[in-house]
Amino acid sequence: MAVSTVYTVQSLNSTCSISTPSKPFSQKHILFFTTTKRALTRSCRQISCSAEDKTVVIGLAADSGCGKSTFMRRLTSVFGGAAEPPRGGNPDSNTLISDTTTVICLDDYHSLDRTGRKEKGVTALDPKANDFDLMYEQVKALKDGAAVDKPIYNHVSGLLDPPELIKPPKILVIEGLHPMYDERVRHLLDFSIYLDISNEVKFAWKIQRDMAERGHSLESIKASIEARKPDFDAYIDPQKQYADAVIEVLPTQLIPDDNEGKVLRVRLIMKEGVKFFNPVYLFDEGSTIEWIPCGRKLTCSYPGIKFSYGPDTYYGHEVSVLEMDGQFDRLDELIYVESHLSNLSTKFYGEVTQQMLKHSDFPGSNNGTGLFQTIVGLKIRDLFEQIVVSRTAAALEAAKA
Amino acid sequence: MAAVAGVNVVAVKVFARASEPSPKPVSFSQVNSPWRRSAGVPLRRMCVAAVPDKLTGKVEESIKAAEEACAGDAVSGECAALWDEVEELSAAASHARDKQKEFDPLETYCKDNPETKECRTYDN
Repeated sequence: MAVSTVYTVQSLNSTCSISTPSKPFSQKHILFFTTTKRALTRSCRQISCSAEDKTVVIGLAADSGCGKSTFMRRLTSVFGGAAEPPRGGNPDSNTLISDTTTVICLDDYHSLDRTGRKEKGVTALDPKANDFDLMYEQVKALKDGAAVDKPIYNHVSGLLDPPELIKPPKILVIEGLHPMYDERVRHLLDFSIYLDISNEVKFAWKIQRDMAERGHSLESIKASIEARKPDFDAYIDPQKQYADAVIEVLPTQLIPDDNEGKVLRVRLIMKEGVKFFNPVYLFDEGSTIEWIPCGRKLTCSYPGIKFSYGPDTYYGHEVSVLEMDGQFDRLDELIYVESHLSNLSTKFYGEVTQQMLKHSDFPGSNNGTGLFQTIVGLKIRDLFEQIVVSRTAAALEAAKA
Repeated sequence: MAAVAGVNVVAVKVFARASEPSPKPVSFSQVNSPWRRSAGVPLRRMCVAAVPDKLTGKVEESIKAAEEACAGDAVSGECAALWDEVEELSAAASHARDKQKEFDPLETYCKDNPETKECRTYDN
């Protein structure tokens, strides 16, 4: 089933790469091998090139201040390397580039800049302020292996800056408010994620973020959330029905009348039947489980940890839901939990824990948000590798036929 | 006694002048100008890195503008657009603060010049 034979690519014009799935992911992704099977070489030269040039596209949707940046950093870290803004370009660029991934912020496709939006009285959440045609064109071009000149939306000045050149990467992540809004763009996505933060948690997070800023008060933060809510509910929220994975963040149920919002209940809702995506499960796939790991083998401090897993329906789709309520205090709690979860797509025992520890300074590293973001990152890596294998296999089939 | 007190006061004054040019931590500035502490901001936050100048005033201005416009009509599109601007600027300010926290002059230099003596790494 796995493709382990490798074919020579001798064309000098195109950048052809063949990856051997058995190798660890972190190695360089362009490999050139020579074989003596010249007969096969000629016929599959072109075909293997075109299969490999197609980019895998991931979409991430969430409201502003909901953890997209943290998720991006965890995701790029799973693939290896740190993602940085393009060197030598616009310092206010929103794009992040690492060895294997490129992250594009969909704010760059605003058709109206800040003044334009003020004049028309629309928020950035409104589809009228975004150019979906350009978004579709460019994401399609990148997916097909062509470089594009993508505009830059400067968040500091609120203006649209001159475009920057984006080369097609192995993995393209588009993050923003509307990755799944437009149907054409939606069909280009190989995998999509929606971060669904409940109102109470969103309020608590925005307070943490903005109270250090002069001029802000509780009332202004509340007013800002309230004013954006109608547009958010109308345009952004409906995207969650299209997502392959939804990370829902709610206030905890372990502490009665908790209003601090420090302990969180996080649900990972995974759509069933998505190609190359096998949902994570606890103990027995498809059954309903409630699990409190704290007991004789593991001691936890208040309020402890509670897991649950089970099948469910979400907007008419069959889903599996894995839920975590509580916080991790110690390393051994994390590794204990990891050893009891199945289908994590880790490459070695303790990989989830290792990734969480690597970024222990990121927000959410001690609760379900960090855990599920890391797990989704590993799932995306697995999905990417499976897509590559299937494409190479398809190329093989086409060559033989 | 008075002489001793006088010396002490002078010493404090000299010390004040000497350390004024460099941005010193909380305790000293608090002693010299207690009015600097903005109301409602807890003391420990004074040590947070300052947001870049471009954004510093913008967030405050945008909040004022939004509050004024929405005082009249809280449901209009204009009001929503202004609060959206506040949100955008707050997010930009928060990202800028995070970037500043991560700023390490040696790391940035070494990223561009990994072959220089200061930046070479030896793995074995």
